[in-house]
Amino acid sequence: MTRLPLEGLRVADFSWFGAGPIGAQTLATFGAEVVRIESEAKLDSLRIAGPFALNADGTPKSSYNVSGYFNNFNAGKLSVQLNLNLEKGQELAYRLIEKSDIFLTNFTPRVIDKWNLRYEQLAALNPKLIAAYAPMQGLEGPHRDFLGFGAVLTPVTGISHMSGFPNRPPFGVGTNYPDYVINPGHTCTAILAALRYRNRTGKGQRVELPQIESVVNALGTAVADYLANGTVQVRSANRHPLAAPHGAFPCLEDPESIGSVDRWIALACYTDLQWQRLCQVLDRQALASDPAFSTLEARKLNEDALESQMAELTSEWRAEDLMAALQAAGIPAGVVQNAQDMLDRDPHMRSRGYYQYLDHPETGRAAYDGPLAVLSATPGHHRAPAPLLGEHTLDVCQRIIGLEMDEIATLLAEGVLV
Amino acid sequence: MAERALDGLRVVEFTDELGSYCGRLLADLGAEVIKVEPPTGGRERHTPPFYRAAAPGPDTSLAFWVHNTSKKSVVLDLETEAGRVMARTLALTANVLLEDNPVGFMAARGLGFESLHAELPALVYTSITGFGQTGPHAGYAYSDIVGQAMAGVMTLAGEPADPPNMIYGQQANLSASIQAAQATLLAVLHAEAAGEGQMVDVSAQEAQSMNQETAMQQWDLQKTNRKRTGEKGALPLTLPGFGVYRARDGYLMCYVVAPAGAGFPVLVDWMRERGMAGDLDEEPYRELCQNLNFGTLTQLAKDPARAAAMIPDLEHINELLRAFFASLSATEAYEEGQRRLLLHGIVSTPRDLAENSQLRARQWFTQLEFDYLNAVLEFPGAPYRLSETPVQIGRPPRLGEHTDEVLASLAAARRRG
Repeated sequence: MTRLPLEGLRVADFSWFGAGPIGAQTLATFGAEVVRIESEAKLDSLRIAGPFALNADGTPKSSYNVSGYFNNFNAGKLSVQLNLNLEKGQELAYRLIEKSDIFLTNFTPRVIDKWNLRYEQLAALNPKLIAAYAPMQGLEGPHRDFLGFGAVLTPVTGISHMSGFPNRPPFGVGTNYPDYVINPGHTCTAILAALRYRNRTGKGQRVELPQIESVVNALGTAVADYLANGTVQVRSANRHPLAAPHGAFPCLEDPESIGSVDRWIALACYTDLQWQRLCQVLDRQALASDPAFSTLEARKLNEDALESQMAELTSEWRAEDLMAALQAAGIPAGVVQNAQDMLDRDPHMRSRGYYQYLDHPETGRAAYDGPLAVLSATPGHHRAPAPLLGEHTLDVCQRIIGLEMDEIATLLAEGVLV
Repeated sequence: MAERALDGLRVVEFTDELGSYCGRLLADLGAEVIKVEPPTGGRERHTPPFYRAAAPGPDTSLAFWVHNTSKKSVVLDLETEAGRVMARTLALTANVLLEDNPVGFMAARGLGFESLHAELPALVYTSITGFGQTGPHAGYAYSDIVGQAMAGVMTLAGEPADPPNMIYGQQANLSASIQAAQATLLAVLHAEAAGEGQMVDVSAQEAQSMNQETAMQQWDLQKTNRKRTGEKGALPLTLPGFGVYRARDGYLMCYVVAPAGAGFPVLVDWMRERGMAGDLDEEPYRELCQNLNFGTLTQLAKDPARAAAMIPDLEHINELLRAFFASLSATEAYEEGQRRLLLHGIVSTPRDLAENSQLRARQWFTQLEFDYLNAVLEFPGAPYRLSETPVQIGRPPRLGEHTDEVLASLAAARRRG
C-alpha cells in the first residue's frame, strides 16, 4: 500500500471544540499519529454536547464517549488524559512535545501562559517543532483575552451582518459557522505549508491563526468594498448581482423528511437563455416573453415580483423532480437538502461514498465526515473511530513518553493522568 | 528577503470563482501561481463590487481582487488550437495544476489529468467542481447557492417563515477552495517525497457539507432533521441575555446565559453602574437574575407550566436590558462587556471590521499598490501568520498582464531544449 503523505509524523493535539480538532483530524486522516490531550479537569464541552447516541428505548446514552458532535471531529486520534493544571502534567506534556513534529492548540493566550505552552518554551525543547496557535483573537493585542467560540465569532467577523434577509435582525446562520471549515482548514493549510518548509530546511516555526483574521479574510470582498469605496454592504437575502432569479423557492412538502417537512429548491439563473429555459421547464411561455422579465436588467429591476411568480410556480413541484428538470435544461439548481438527504437519500453522495461508517464501542456503528478530497494515489481514511476519553493514556505514556508501569501508577494516584 | 513556505512551487491554474481562492492561498504562501484566463476573463472578473474610482471592468472587480492576490495572469484562448497547445506546454512546466471547470472540459482540450500525468508523472492535478468527478450528479450545473443548498447547510439558516438563507461570501466555493488547498499541499508533500503525482478530486458539495455542524450526526444517531430556528434560536423561550440586541448604532449578539464567562449578575452590576438596572435589585427580579443560567434553563425546559408563569418577569428584565444596550454604541458595549468577561460579541459591519481595534493594533490590514490605477489601497490581510516564512500579499494581476513574460519564458525554455 502507498505510504500516506503524513505517515511517520506525530501531532500533539492540545486543541478543543471544533476549530482545532478538525484540522488535526485531517492530519490523522492522511497518515499522522495524532495524540489528543484531554482532561476531566478541563473537559472538551463537545463530549457533553449532543447529539448523543441513543439507547434501545430512545433515551440518550450518558457518557463522555457518545457525542456525535465530538466524535465526528476526532476520528483516528489517540486520547491521553493529562491534567495540565499540575506541574507534573506539564512535564509530561513537554516530554510528548519533544517527540512530536506538530503541536496544535486553540486555547486562549491566558491558558497557554498558564500551562507554559508558549512557543519560546516549546521551541527550546524541540526546535524542529511546528507549533500552531489558533486562539480567537490572536496571541497579542487589546482583545487578546476576549471570550468566545464559533457562536461569537460569527457576529464579530461580519458573517451575521452580511447573511440573511435585510428585514430581519442579524441573528446569524444557525450554526457556529467558522468552526468547521474556515478555521480548521486555514490552520491545516498553514501547518502543511510549514511542513514543506521544514522538509526543505529542517526548520520548525510558529504558525499563528487568529480566528478573527482567518474569518474576516474569508469575507474579504465586503471589507475591501468598505476600504476601497467606503461602502457598507448589508445582507441581501439570497440574491446575487449577476443572476435573477437567484434564491430558494418553495416546493411541495416532503412528509418523509422527519422533523423538517418544508421543501425548497435553490436555483441561479445568470443568462437570458437560462431564463427562457426556466420558463419552458415551468411551462410558462407567457412569462418568457414578458418584457418585465426578459433581460437580466429587467429581472433585477423587478426582482420582488419575479420572486413571487417563481414561488407560485415552483410550489407545484416536488423538489427532486424540479431539480432534475432544471438540470436537464442546464440551469444550476439543487434541492435544499437536509441531513437525511445527505446520508440516506442523495444518490450522488452515496455513490461517492463520502461518509465513512465506523464501529464504535459505545455508540455502535456511526457516520463520520470522510476525507476532504479524493486523492487518487494517497486516499486518506479514518483508521479508527473517535477515542474514548483517556483510551490511550497507558499506551501513550509507555510507548511514546517512555514511562514505566510503576511511574504510571503513581501519576494516576496523584491525579496527573485524569 | 524572507524565505517563503512554497518557494519553488509552480502552480498553473485554470480557475474562476470556484477555485480562485485556493490559488490565492498558495500564491500568498510563496508559490508562483499563473492564472490562465479566457480573453475576456472569467465571471469573477466581472462581478461587482468594482473599485469606484475607475471604470467597472475586468481589472477593477473587488470580488476578483480578494481571491486572486499574488498571482500572474496569462490570457490563452482554449477554444483555439494555438491556445490549447500553449496551455499544455505551460501546464507541463507546473508542479501543480489547479482547475475548476465542468467535468470533461479540460480533457476535451487536451488538458485532462491522464494525458498530462502520462507525460509528467509528478504532477499534482487538483480539480474543484460542484459535485466531484464521479457519481450521478458529476455533470450537474453548479453555482454557489446550489452548493450551499445541496450540502445541507442552507436548511439550517434563516427564520422558519422565510426561505432558507444563503450564507454571504460564496461559502460553498470558499469551502471547496480551502479544502482543496489542504488536499493539494498533502499531494505536494507526497510528490516531493515519492516523485508520484496524483489527481485530487474536490467536491464543493462535500466540502461545504462539513458545515452542517451537528445535523449529520443528529440524523445518523437520532433519525431527526435539524431545522432552521431563526432569531429565537434553539431555546424554547426568549431569555434575557441571549440573542440579538440593538445597540445605539448597530447590534450585539449575547450568550451571557451560556456556561462560559461571567454570569448575568455581572451584567446587572454593569447596568446598575450606569443607572439603568431599574428594579432588578428587587424581588422577584433579583433572584431571577441571580439564577439566569443554563442550568436553570434546562430545569425550565422540563417544566413548561413554571416556565410560562415566569415569562412576564423575564420579559420585564429583558425590557430593561434592551434599553440598556440601546443606550450604548455597539463597539463600546462589546469592548466593555468583554472586559467584564461577559460572553457576547458585536455584530460587525464592514466598517466595524475596518475600525476593529484588535485588527488595527495587530496591523492586520495590508497596503497594495495599484500602479495602473494610481492608487494605494488598504486591503484585508492574511488568514494566518508564519514566523519564519511570512505570508506576503501581492497585487492581483490585470487580465493578461503576464502573457508576454510567461510565453517568452516558455519559448526560451523550448529553445534551450
